Amino acid sequence: MTLLCRVAENLFWLSRYIERAVSIVRVLDVTAHLELDAGDPGTPDVDFWIPLLGPVLPGVAAQAPQPRPEDIRYFLAFDADNSGSLISCLRNARGAARRVRDSLSSEMWEQINVTYLRLEEPNRFVQLEEDLHGFSRQTRDSLLLVQGLSETTLAHDEAWQFLSLGMYLERTDGLSRLLERQSHLLTSDATSEYGYDAVRWLAVLRSAGSSEAYSRYYSLRVQPVRVLEFLLLNASFPQTLSYSVSAAWHALEAISQESSARSAPPLRALVRARASLEHASIDEVLEMGLKEFLHGIRANIAEASDQIAAAYFRFAPEGNRHHAVARAAQLMAAQQQQ
Amino acid sequence: MTSSAIGPDIFAYDVGEFWDEMFTPECIARPHYASLVRELRTLSPGEVERRQRAADLSFQARGITFAVNQAAEGAEKIMPFDLVPRIITAEEWRKIELGLEQRVRALNLFLDDIYHHTRILRAGVIPVDVVLGSRGYVREVHDLDVPLGVYTHVVGSDLVRDSSGDFYVLEDNLRTPSGVSYVVENRRVLKRVWSQIFHDYDVRPVEGYAQDLLEVLRAVAPEDAEGEPTVVLLTPGVHNSAYFEHAFLAKGMGVQMVEGTDLFVDDGFVYMRTTSGPERVHVIYRRVDDDFLDPLAFRSDSILGVPGLLASHRMGNVSIANGIGAGVADDKAVYAYVPTIIRYYLDEDPILPTIKTYLPTVREDFQFIMDHIDELVVKAVNESGGYGMLIGPHATSAEREAFKVRIRANPRGYIAQPTLALSRHPCWVDDHFEGRHVDLRPFVLYGRNLKITPGGLTRVALRSGSLVVNSSQGGGGKDTWVLAERIGDGGV
Repeated sequence: MTLLCRVAENLFWLSRYIERAVSIVRVLDVTAHLELDAGDPGTPDVDFWIPLLGPVLPGVAAQAPQPRPEDIRYFLAFDADNSGSLISCLRNARGAARRVRDSLSSEMWEQINVTYLRLEEPNRFVQLEEDLHGFSRQTRDSLLLVQGLSETTLAHDEAWQFLSLGMYLERTDGLSRLLERQSHLLTSDATSEYGYDAVRWLAVLRSAGSSEAYSRYYSLRVQPVRVLEFLLLNASFPQTLSYSVSAAWHALEAISQESSARSAPPLRALVRARASLEHASIDEVLEMGLKEFLHGIRANIAEASDQIAAAYFRFAPEGNRHHAVARAAQLMAAQQQQ
Repeated sequence: MTSSAIGPDIFAYDVGEFWDEMFTPECIARPHYASLVRELRTLSPGEVERRQRAADLSFQARGITFAVNQAAEGAEKIMPFDLVPRIITAEEWRKIELGLEQRVRALNLFLDDIYHHTRILRAGVIPVDVVLGSRGYVREVHDLDVPLGVYTHVVGSDLVRDSSGDFYVLEDNLRTPSGVSYVVENRRVLKRVWSQIFHDYDVRPVEGYAQDLLEVLRAVAPEDAEGEPTVVLLTPGVHNSAYFEHAFLAKGMGVQMVEGTDLFVDDGFVYMRTTSGPERVHVIYRRVDDDFLDPLAFRSDSILGVPGLLASHRMGNVSIANGIGAGVADDKAVYAYVPTIIRYYLDEDPILPTIKTYLPTVREDFQFIMDHIDELVVKAVNESGGYGMLIGPHATSAEREAFKVRIRANPRGYIAQPTLALSRHPCWVDDHFEGRHVDLRPFVLYGRNLKITPGGLTRVALRSGSLVVNSSQGGGGKDTWVLAERIGDGGV
């Protein structure tokens, strides 16, 4: 079945928002572990989280100058003004899903809808604070079910490849940002096995949903270099950079077979990212500098995303799109129903 | 009212002064409702309530919602669903079917005529200005031949029953009638939450609608379409109140749901933008009003439409359903002439009666409206969805005076009809049953043949005493059963 450009774009973004939401839930859950493990009353909890959370502080500080853990959790999960919050991601995912609802299975649409509606229920933040683990687990399962339903209730055709592409590109992006924020840990000399750093690296693994897989792979205590090696270069575990980039490439290649030659530029960018992950050893990465290495990957991904949009989502320049969208909303509503 | 026929509290029900669909005035269940009533009696209010809640949750979860016109972006509501089905007997349905078939055929002959030879106008059977002065009249499609001569591929006429129990046609919806998705979804949900009540009944299925619609749309494809013609559904988008239905139908037919910007016209042909390039479109089932279809031909500020669409249509390169300009035939003033139209084109008497309609453009009618406005329902001819209406007996005298002024200023803009004593049906309200006014919207498909889905949407005016059933005005819906020949088991 042919695929409309608009539908392809919405599928791609819907999938990115779901994946982003999954990673937010993981981080929420990890914050609970950190609070318990950090233990040092001298260290303000929030300082501990920053490298995991990324640049959330400016956003939180706008509302709470001395943010407490619950302020940060609210910001991450329920702050509708935070475009990167869980609730915003779900709202966007549902919005995109609604626009392409005829292209999704009923099961998948319903699961997205229900996941969103559950978050919208009153007092959800109170419930989160009372039982963070229960909340995270329920929400994460609910989101993973969306991804599972995409796997099992849709034909694996071109439309599905856009879902897959969105998911893996988002994972690549999120993971490389997460790792980039940890690069300062490598330079500190506190490497004691039971010290904070071990706790932090464990938190990094958990944030990436990878702690069990790591242990199985290395049967080692958490060592920064091995953690990095695993998350960057392991080719068989789906939460790693190497795996995600390669999966994104596969999706794009399948799309390009359906849609003639227009895929060449985005494919090239992904090939470069894939090559640097497949051929590098962790020593080379560290020698080059983690930050620089990840920067290179991220640049490739950004380039691929732009080119995907140009090749598949847009035929012609769209002019004053913002204005047009607002006007369209008005006109849609004005259509009389008989 | 507490005879043995009435059972426990749950049926402390007031039949009232109206025709009740379920009970006779003596509060005896009508034969075709007998076994349903028996089943209901076995339930406690708590059990009914639990099923009602299960149904509501199911609608919410599946996102079966409508957007409220003009409300804030993203405001969605579920259409209130009442658990107790409305039952129509096979005999009643046969008459409805024949009546609607006759009506739709006549209206299409009328449309074909007024857009070609205008015989009916030349013969002076209908005043010229009633037709040409209608907002639904589109001169741009004059002399355009549409495939099979069909203008109204989908019709949703509203029927009501008055106090005598007879069905009347209240209005025809010939442009973009909506609600059929609820016909199917109401049935699905009811089966899910209350399957037991289906056991004693042989209810005709409604599932096949989308496939029937697809067949109609394929039948009107341009002749040059080789093999399977490409059909699309054109939606105004997510903010439209019937968006759920658009997605529902596109999915049911297995066709693309497109927005205006997904389509473009090149060299007289319509294409959609796909990831592998332009793809020709042969048939557009549009849920966008005429005015918005093509900014080059109609409203130039419309970005919901497709520039050049009308030209392509006129060249015969793309078919549009429902046809452009069909709205003239569901104009509320033209409605008054439908019996005449049926006699003129078919030489038959109308099977389904219409409601006496007063036209302010006719001198005697005008005087009558002015003198009796407190007994009449006044409707603006260009509105639908329950907007622009005055229900005389329920209005304040200030509202009535305001309408008189408007009618005087724009007589062609209004019609008046007697206030009907619409039939009622028991509905679950809080913790007991109350009578609520209902109507019935069956859906007629017209391609090579006419086909009427057995059932239709029963709309309920949920506010006590209200006569307005539109979903935009707080109306709800019921599953509607058309029975196959066998009727329940009779008796009480």
